Amino acid sequence: MKGWLSLVPLFLAGALAAPVELKINLRIGEQPLRFGQTYQTPQGQRYQIEMLKFYLSEVALVRPDGSEVPAKGLVLADFRPGGPTQGVSVMKMDVPAGQYRGLRFNVGVPRELNHLDAGTQQMPLGVNSGMYWAWNPGYIFYRLEGLALLPEGNQKWVIHMGTDAFRIPVRLQDLQTRRVQINIPPSGGVITLNLDVSKAFQPGPGGAFVDWRQRPMRQLHGLSPETSLLMSVVYYHMQSAFSLAQ
Amino acid sequence: MPVPDDNPQTPAKVALGRQLFFDPRLSRDGKVACASCHQPRFAFSDGGKPVSTGIYGRKGQRNAPSLTNVAFRRHLFWEGRSPRLELQAVGPLTAHDEMGMEPDELSERLKAIPEYAKAFQEVFGEAPSLRSVTYAIAAFERTLLSYNSPFDRYQAGDDKAMSEAALRGMELFFSEKGDCFHCHVGPDFTDDEPRNTALYTVYKDIGLARATGKDEDVGKFKTPTLRNVALTAPYMHDGSIQTLREAVQHYNQGGQPNLNADALIRPLGLTDAEVDDLVAFLQSLTDESFTTNPAFLPPR
Ligand code: HEC
Ligand code: HEC
Repeated sequence: MKGWLSLVPLFLAGALAAPVELKINLRIGEQPLRFGQTYQTPQGQRYQIEMLKFYLSEVALVRPDGSEVPAKGLVLADFRPGGPTQGVSVMKMDVPAGQYRGLRFNVGVPRELNHLDAGTQQMPLGVNSGMYWAWNPGYIFYRLEGLALLPEGNQKWVIHMGTDAFRIPVRLQDLQTRRVQINIPPSGGVITLNLDVSKAFQPGPGGAFVDWRQRPMRQLHGLSPETSLLMSVVYYHMQSAFSLAQ
Repeated sequence: MPVPDDNPQTPAKVALGRQLFFDPRLSRDGKVACASCHQPRFAFSDGGKPVSTGIYGRKGQRNAPSLTNVAFRRHLFWEGRSPRLELQAVGPLTAHDEMGMEPDELSERLKAIPEYAKAFQEVFGEAPSLRSVTYAIAAFERTLLSYNSPFDRYQAGDDKAMSEAALRGMELFFSEKGDCFHCHVGPDFTDDEPRNTALYTVYKDIGLARATGKDEDVGKFKTPTLRNVALTAPYMHDGSIQTLREAVQHYNQGGQPNLNADALIRPLGLTDAEVDDLVAFLQSLTDESFTTNPAFLPPR
């Protein structure tokens, strides 16, 4: 009986699997992100984005009844000057055609992969990914870098979010209703996500914000008395930085 | 020497690693090599500078440690969180205040240099990549061995190798009075473990806690080797201590009040003469042949 049951999903998947492509638009607020363009934080600090790379893993589509259809794979999304920032395909998967309430995934590398010897891993892991964190074994999950245009001159800043504690769970389904947001016809389809990169600069409790005038804040990575609060603020906002496009 | 299975030492690989170690083209602005901050004549530390300067004049936050016998370190970096040299090297190559390279940028740049394209093909059977660069450099680093100091010669039976003062200092170092040897232990004078030596009451750089987030790890830094220590001033993770004498005095005074301080850190009650003797012992750990060995200097 047990054996028979476990065959059902396989059979369904085999019969109705539809190819789905996951695409991403980078945004600053409502606007498409452009490298080299100057933006402003809510506190009036001017900045430019120079790169964004992050891992997506444990992607799953959520059925109207709340059950999940997991998609295999770990991908590294890589956005840099000279490359596109809109409609960028980051992942292909096969899922049963049908209606879905939404999507969930993690920004990060699953724990069981995060601590393997990076010298022996293949892309998208391994040191050639540019995401290996040499001083703190494991990978950077979310890597955002740019310039702060300060009165004293341009200063480089980085936000590197990693370690198992900072894996970012993202849920893009309506938890209250069973509203269908994604419809995958048998011929397949595209799911497009907006990622509002500027969410990282939203203030946190007590108005704490990433203040590049202070040198320690230009390197948000790992924990320290000066940066731990801001790491939490950025982490918190990142969970709502993704949304389904349209 | 501990060599990982996936990176066997070969003469060609070591030669390539040496070339890379001294080559500033491995940095974004073409001005910074590993050897800029790890200079042979300072036992591969950063001669006199409390913190180092990376690309575009960007200043780092920590003192560059000596690479003496680094092949034997089980934990790398000041908080000791990196497990091996191959992976450690990713840090400086990619850090934006050290060499600041992206993996694809580095491999493109090296591919365009015919000698490198050829050498990587010969050594690794593939085009240069960040990974193969770190493997070659690690192979070179594993050759940086230094066991020819007066202390070593004394151990080998040369009774005249060390001065009287140094011999008295050695006694103190290994006695319960000086109590240095519990942490500075073994052939390289390090237990490779993170320890809090009560350098400050409030640490600006929190050390191991930066990675673990644990209160008890604040101020913990890996015990450094003391080999060639007379060549590697200034001292400690932040280069805040200028001379060996001041370093010994720090221990003699028992450090600053600190809740995390290691139990071994306490006032030692050493006389001035005993402090001098300990300094003389530390000076007897200098291996002159290490800084002049042609195999460790820039190629050609
Ligand atoms: C801009 C200066 C700078 C450059 C360039 C640099 N280093 Fe370092 N190195 C440092 C500093 C500072 C540390 C200590 C950093 C820390 O622990 O956070 C360090 C630590 C190390 C360590 C750890 C030693 C130990 O005992 O823990 C090794 C090994 C090392 N560097 C090798 C290299 C190699 C190989 C390169 C070139 C790929 C390199 N370094 C380039 C400054 C530099
Ligand atoms: C509790 C362990 C411990 C004991 C005991 C100890 N050390 Fe250290 N030593 C360390 C650690 C850890 C550091 C680095 C501390 C830092 O950077 O904050 C260090 C740093 C040093 C340095 C500077 C080395 C460098 O390259 O910067 C010298 C010199 C030194 N110790 C000598 C001694 C002497 C002499 C004694 C005995 C009087 C002694 N130590 C006792 C752990 C210890």
